[in-house]
Amino acid sequence: MRPVIDIRNAHRIFESEAGCAHILHNVSLAVDPGEFVAITGPSGSGKSTLMNILGCLDKPTAGDYYLQGLNVAELDDDELTEVRALSIGFVFQSFNLLPRLSVIENVMLPLAYTNVPRSQREMRAVHALQAVTLPVDHWDHRISELSGGQMQRVAIARALVNDPPIILADEPTGNLDSATGALVMETFHKLQERGKTIVLITHDPGIAAEADRAVTIRDGRIHDGAYIPHAPRTLRSAVDSLPMISASANPPKGVMA
Amino acid sequence: MSASDLIQEALHSLEANKGRSLLTILGIVIGIASVIAMTSLIGGIQNSLVNSLGLNAARMIQIYSSQELTDSDVQKLQKLVPQIEQIGIVDSAYTEYKTGDKSYTVMAQGVDSNMLDAVGASKLVAGRTYTDVESKAGSRVALISRGGADQLYGNEQDALGKTIKVSNGEVQIVGVIDGGSDSMGSLTLYMPRETIAGLFGDENPSFPSVTALAAEGSDMDELCKTIESKVRAMKGIEEEDEYDSVSATSMKSAIDSLNSFMGAFSLIMGAVASISLLVGGIGIMNMMLTNVTERIREIGIRRALGASRRDITAQFLAESSALCVTGGLLGVLIGYLLAWGLAMFASGSGILGELGASGQITPSFSIATVLLAFAVSVGIGVIFGFYPARRAAKLDPVECLRYQ
Repeated sequence: MRPVIDIRNAHRIFESEAGCAHILHNVSLAVDPGEFVAITGPSGSGKSTLMNILGCLDKPTAGDYYLQGLNVAELDDDELTEVRALSIGFVFQSFNLLPRLSVIENVMLPLAYTNVPRSQREMRAVHALQAVTLPVDHWDHRISELSGGQMQRVAIARALVNDPPIILADEPTGNLDSATGALVMETFHKLQERGKTIVLITHDPGIAAEADRAVTIRDGRIHDGAYIPHAPRTLRSAVDSLPMISASANPPKGVMA
Repeated sequence: MSASDLIQEALHSLEANKGRSLLTILGIVIGIASVIAMTSLIGGIQNSLVNSLGLNAARMIQIYSSQELTDSDVQKLQKLVPQIEQIGIVDSAYTEYKTGDKSYTVMAQGVDSNMLDAVGASKLVAGRTYTDVESKAGSRVALISRGGADQLYGNEQDALGKTIKVSNGEVQIVGVIDGGSDSMGSLTLYMPRETIAGLFGDENPSFPSVTALAAEGSDMDELCKTIESKVRAMKGIEEEDEYDSVSATSMKSAIDSLNSFMGAFSLIMGAVASISLLVGGIGIMNMMLTNVTERIREIGIRRALGASRRDITAQFLAESSALCVTGGLLGVLIGYLLAWGLAMFASGSGILGELGASGQITPSFSIATVLLAFAVSVGIGVIFGFYPARRAAKLDPVECLRYQ
């Protein structure tokens, strides 16, 4: 099976007047269609930079990135935009919903950029909102009238509305309590059951443990050759990461000792 | 993104910042309103002046000869120059008319009935014109201008049948005509030439000046030259004669001068208004730059959701254009209201009578002016909104999403 995401020997270097910052080092990662992959790692390890490259918001300085077999390095800005619009759905930690639009208007927004006729937009937004089980009486509400969990479900509905094959979620449960976070994770599992490929960034090993596999990134390098099959490797990656945190710190929540 | 999406987004954005948007468009409102007010008012004054000269003003020719012209000269000239449709002597005299404690300066115009059309005194508002028989008989009948009738009797109908003392006799008003340039304290009366001769005791059969009406479509400049040469030939006046002179001038040149004066005035007003529009445009640019800074994160979100750089440019351009169009439409409305207010003030104050215009001014409304104002507004929106829009579009989506 050809991987839907295939990044090979990627580097990302940021140049500024202050000097060069080498954020990603020789990163390789392949994700199969329908797979649920969690990317974990401490703050500043390069998770978000990797996510931006996977989401075609940024390009690697060196190395290759094939998305659905397409070499992203060869795409111009308009083509990258098209890939983002049709192939990727983004879910952010801080929801990133537009406060002056209603719930349903937020969900319909990506459809305006893919030239979906106005007559079909509402119907598709309704399907997306039903998929995330947001109550109907909330659809016309302003964003400020929703709880954090509801906001994140709206954000997931927005990511789904163009029916992209890949969902990229950056700390989707980071701003939610554990019960609401569990509901959001349940939504992701349902999406996976529907054939979506999900790449999720998280600090939380408990959340990472829910994925098919977890990949740890540290100091811009994929740790342990990128493949960390589920439970035992997650444990090992947690142990490997211990020197990064203070000696007195408790083991991360959700990690089996 | 479709045009309807852009319009909807732009209106959403204006609604979200009502107060700031309103303050920002003030410059555009003032600029457009002043252009509309001035152009419609100037157009109104222009129409009023042309009306006061009469419908046939553009075809009227004044012929002057230092060797005075007689009735037989006039008839001969008409035969020699076939482009002359009507020609006749227009006599005039001034007198004073007192009623109660009011005093009026009366300008009595001696015009035979066949020449009323030529001098623009044939558009009746009430009553009738005098006949050929009355002209030849020197009947004591007169036509009064609408402004004069209003001043003396309050309305046109009440003027009919009234008598006015002119010099050493009286004339009866048989009709009220449109046009004329009567301001407070002055009246114009049209009566047959024989009547004037009788009233003022002037039996002089020759006059230095004659009025002619050219046939429709005549080349006025060419016709004036032909008339001058024919009159010179009739009176034996050489072109380089030191003592005697002949001239034929058309009202067309006077109207052209008036139009060019009004055109120059409009141009000056346009220049003043364009400064206001420039300031308004800079205000729009400033607001749009602030908008871009405030919405950096939103730009990042939109880019992540599939908006291209072109979509972002179009969105901000639509917002700046919507601002300017709103300002333009408000400006057109306020401009016309202002023009009506100024016209009412000017009509009431009698300033226009002194300029030679008839008593009432109606600001001219032109769809072309409204469309021009609309186009100028959109133009300002696009020109001054382009830089902020491009700046927004060039932002790096990753940086935008990181922006707090």
